[in-house]
Amino acid sequence: MIAHVAQAGEDRGRVVLQVCSPQPNALALLAAVKIAQAFQSEIESLFIEDTQLFDCAAFGFVQEVSLSGRSHKKLSADDVAQSLKLAAQGARRELERLARSVDVPLRTRTVRDDPLQALRTACSEVGPWNVVALSEPFTGGFSRTVKQMFEAIEGTTGLILVGPRARRVTGPTVIALEDLDRLPDLTRAAERLAAIDDAMIAVLLIAPDAPRLQHMDTLARIALAGREKLRIDHAVVARGAPAAAAEALRRQGAGFVICQFGGAVVPEEGDLGPLAAALECPLLLVR
Amino acid sequence: MFFKRSQNDTPAAKKAEAAAVAAAGAAAALPVDDLRRVVDPASLGFASTDDLEPISGLIGQDRALKALEFGTSIKSHDYNIFVLGPPASGKTTAVRQQLVAKAAKAATPHDWAYVYNFSAPNRPKALCLPHGRAKLLAQGMIGALTELRSVVPGVFEGDDYQARRRAIDEEFRSSQEAAFEALNTKAQMQNIALLRTPTGFTMAPMHEGKVVKPEVFNALPENMRREVENKIEALQKELGDILARVPKADKKRRAALTELNEEVARVAVHEALDELGAAFADVPAAIAYLNDAGADLISNIALFLASEEENAVVRQPLDTAHDVRFRRYMVNVITSNGAEGAAGAPVVEEINPTYGNLVGRVEHIAQMGTLVTDFLLIKPGALHSANGGFLMLDVRKLLLSPFAWEALKRALKAQMIRIEQPMEAAGLISTQSLDPEPIPLDVRVVLFGDREIYYLLVALDPDFVRLFKVQADFDDSIVRSEENDRAFARLVASIVKEHGLQPVDASGVARVIDEGARLADHREKLSIEIGRIADIVREADHWAKSSGRSVTTREDIEQAIEAHMQRSDRLRDRSLETFEQKVMLVDVEGAKVGQINGLSVLQLGSFAFGRPSRITARVRLGSGRVTDIEREVKLGGPLHSKGVMILWGYLAGQFALDVPLALAASLVFEQSYGGVDGDSASSAELYALLSALAEVPIKQTLAVTGSVNQLGEVQAIGGVNEKIEGFFDVCRQRGLTKSQGVLIPQANVQHLMLRQDVVEAVRKGEFAVYAVSSISQGIEILTGVKAGERGSDGRFPEGTVNRLVEDKLRVFAERGRDFTRKNAEDQKR
Repeated sequence: MIAHVAQAGEDRGRVVLQVCSPQPNALALLAAVKIAQAFQSEIESLFIEDTQLFDCAAFGFVQEVSLSGRSHKKLSADDVAQSLKLAAQGARRELERLARSVDVPLRTRTVRDDPLQALRTACSEVGPWNVVALSEPFTGGFSRTVKQMFEAIEGTTGLILVGPRARRVTGPTVIALEDLDRLPDLTRAAERLAAIDDAMIAVLLIAPDAPRLQHMDTLARIALAGREKLRIDHAVVARGAPAAAAEALRRQGAGFVICQFGGAVVPEEGDLGPLAAALECPLLLVR
Repeated sequence: MFFKRSQNDTPAAKKAEAAAVAAAGAAAALPVDDLRRVVDPASLGFASTDDLEPISGLIGQDRALKALEFGTSIKSHDYNIFVLGPPASGKTTAVRQQLVAKAAKAATPHDWAYVYNFSAPNRPKALCLPHGRAKLLAQGMIGALTELRSVVPGVFEGDDYQARRRAIDEEFRSSQEAAFEALNTKAQMQNIALLRTPTGFTMAPMHEGKVVKPEVFNALPENMRREVENKIEALQKELGDILARVPKADKKRRAALTELNEEVARVAVHEALDELGAAFADVPAAIAYLNDAGADLISNIALFLASEEENAVVRQPLDTAHDVRFRRYMVNVITSNGAEGAAGAPVVEEINPTYGNLVGRVEHIAQMGTLVTDFLLIKPGALHSANGGFLMLDVRKLLLSPFAWEALKRALKAQMIRIEQPMEAAGLISTQSLDPEPIPLDVRVVLFGDREIYYLLVALDPDFVRLFKVQADFDDSIVRSEENDRAFARLVASIVKEHGLQPVDASGVARVIDEGARLADHREKLSIEIGRIADIVREADHWAKSSGRSVTTREDIEQAIEAHMQRSDRLRDRSLETFEQKVMLVDVEGAKVGQINGLSVLQLGSFAFGRPSRITARVRLGSGRVTDIEREVKLGGPLHSKGVMILWGYLAGQFALDVPLALAASLVFEQSYGGVDGDSASSAELYALLSALAEVPIKQTLAVTGSVNQLGEVQAIGGVNEKIEGFFDVCRQRGLTKSQGVLIPQANVQHLMLRQDVVEAVRKGEFAVYAVSSISQGIEILTGVKAGERGSDGRFPEGTVNRLVEDKLRVFAERGRDFTRKNAEDQKR
């Protein structure tokens, strides 16, 4: 549940940004900062040096294949450490710039550990209401990792993800709503996000058939009555049709999408490829 | 000891007294009617200018107007026109009227516009369009771009495009991911982990999803380790192959995306430009441009897809016409003709003909510390605006503007307007800037200037004669006739109408005509210096209104002329003061030998006045030389020196036919501290010299003006009115004695338009003006002694001035001969 993200100084949670990649996605950093700004939280930036890489480097026969595939060279622990250090410096500078521009407190640290374990440790240290932001774009087969993370990291209420086609953080904040019980808390989260840019909130009601959608619409309108700058849209998406859900979201032209993990949009198990191809903004995935 | 003799006691003077009796009455003063021509208001035949039809155009300028008609009609590029004439003569207005009338009947020229050159961006293309349509093209392009701005984002956000794009992306991604996933699966099945490093990928032995610790691996048997190493080596090779294929696949993806983008963009661009293309289907150049622009729009369609940054910073999108992204598709209209019903050729007057204002310029804007430009910053010049019509320029301003004259000639010779930086045109700098395509030029240039500049250009600039073959020479005056007097009155009426003045009655108009003759310096002519005439009428209007009159009368015209003079004549007053205080020594009474009153004119801006100067002559025995003191001290101009040499020629021819001219004489303008030029005082100098030689006194009550030739004929001079008035003013200041007057050349009588107060004094017999045509006539008036004519014995009659002069010269010759002989004998001894 994301009824609450710990505020700065509360020591009960924060935005934990995982940076494993040497070239973190710029929009992923921006999304993390925006969430922290919206909830007046702080960012714990975790630069993780994967221990497995150092294990690899200890093997004399292991080689590193360049990204172009054209060169192979011996992998050395020193080279790996140096490259990771430089990458972390660059990412830190960019993150500091972003955080400073909106007055978001930022803490940074570097740990050498297994990535998942590092996140788990960090979240457990700072309280229950953390949001984990991943700096690498997700791909089609990422649902298994997401599931793993939600299972392994108890101290997180949500994950911030960006797809490979992410290109904006401005625009309406869209709630992809499949369960009406989640409407109040998701709306509150959306309101805080939308308030930053004075953006519209769009509630995209998603149901497998029209009657159910109609029912949801009626109740949603009662619940949201009197709110300004809010619209309600519909999408009929059958279970197991992630492409349809992704397309419905894309049409919203969102600046941020909030949705629940384990529904039609992000199933617990299944292909996230269509969503990765369609999503042009960050996704706040809540338990 | 010697006694000073009175001049009248000399033998020569006694003889002259006898001759004076005979000369008395020989000189008759000019009648009053000859001094000023006055128009009788009743003869004009109207009560006020309200009764007159204002005149349009010019009067009495047939020659110039015919030249203008010829110059504007002939179809040849080098028959440009030079309008010569005095300033403020109304020629510019009249020529403009004529050109406008001519242009109204001429064909309306094409429009010109500069557009982006998509193949050579630094050479903007000049586009020729039927008149009135350049602006339509410009507006059409803005409309098309605005349409694309609203349509294109929708098209590219649309389901159709997005689906096709995703299909391409997915095809690429899935093929990559599939290959990668397959390799990963294959590796995992062989217990090999695939890991991402900061700069690539690596593989290592794996157990239960984690990389095996090296110490554990090293504990394995050699053959197992070797097997794992071999597997990893093979998988790494496979990984390298997969990664190496990525760029090729991505290139293919990008090509597919480009093709898709172009396909989608083509539809949108064609739809946006179709209407414009149809509107300009009859203009191949426009269609070619639209095709180029369309192709460029298709390949740059991303311009219409707003970036996130733009949205963040600029919430309100810019107007298309001002959006820098679309500048290259704008149309820079250079000339637009025939719009809003203004058919015909243009008539343009450039009052500040600088280089840039004439041929146009490429402006720059400061951007990030540098100066940048593009084809939209090309600004047209007067040649562009006047292309197909007429361009009016003031030649003085043109010549004073650096590079402008040469640029104009270049354009006229080449019949092209090429916009270059002036320094670039002069070959002084060569920065890379825009090089706009030249525009063909078909213009008739009309230059306005005075005669001096015209003749200087003719003499010094061969191009000028080739390019300006027509001279429209405007007279500065017209001959007086009843018809022209009436035309002049209509001119006054047109001034009244043009300036919204109250009417001028017949007496006022008559006075203006009188002043016109005075300005022309000729009683038989009228000045058509419209500017000055208009000033008089406008100022008189002011005085009339100040006096509460609703009609401007002669009195107001008089007051305007008088007030104008008063505003300008401070120096004349100072000059008169110097005579009153005897600072300037001039006698206006009595008679003196070798001394005469000459007259000169001072021109100060638009105001001129005359004043007398004392001229003296001294003679003695010498070797035949007149010393012109003005020349010796370099205060005399060449014309003055010429005059003095002429009078020496007269003396020699008149008196030294059989004896040497053993004379030394000196001539000087007393109290002259500035330069003296002109030969108008040469007759006065001769009279002084004759007086000195004959020892006959000259009446100081008279002043003299006129030049003389070697035969003793008195010739016309300029400024006769001002000279007479100058002497009159001094005499009046000292007191008029009824014996004072001025000698003028007979040829100048026609120029007399004297002030009314001078005329009145003459009418009362207080002052006189004498017209003479020869030195003999003049000397008789000045001395009261007969000049004398050579008789049959070859001698002048006794007692005449000429006889006295001749005798003196003979005495000088004899004494000279005696002196030379005695000197020779002394030397021999």
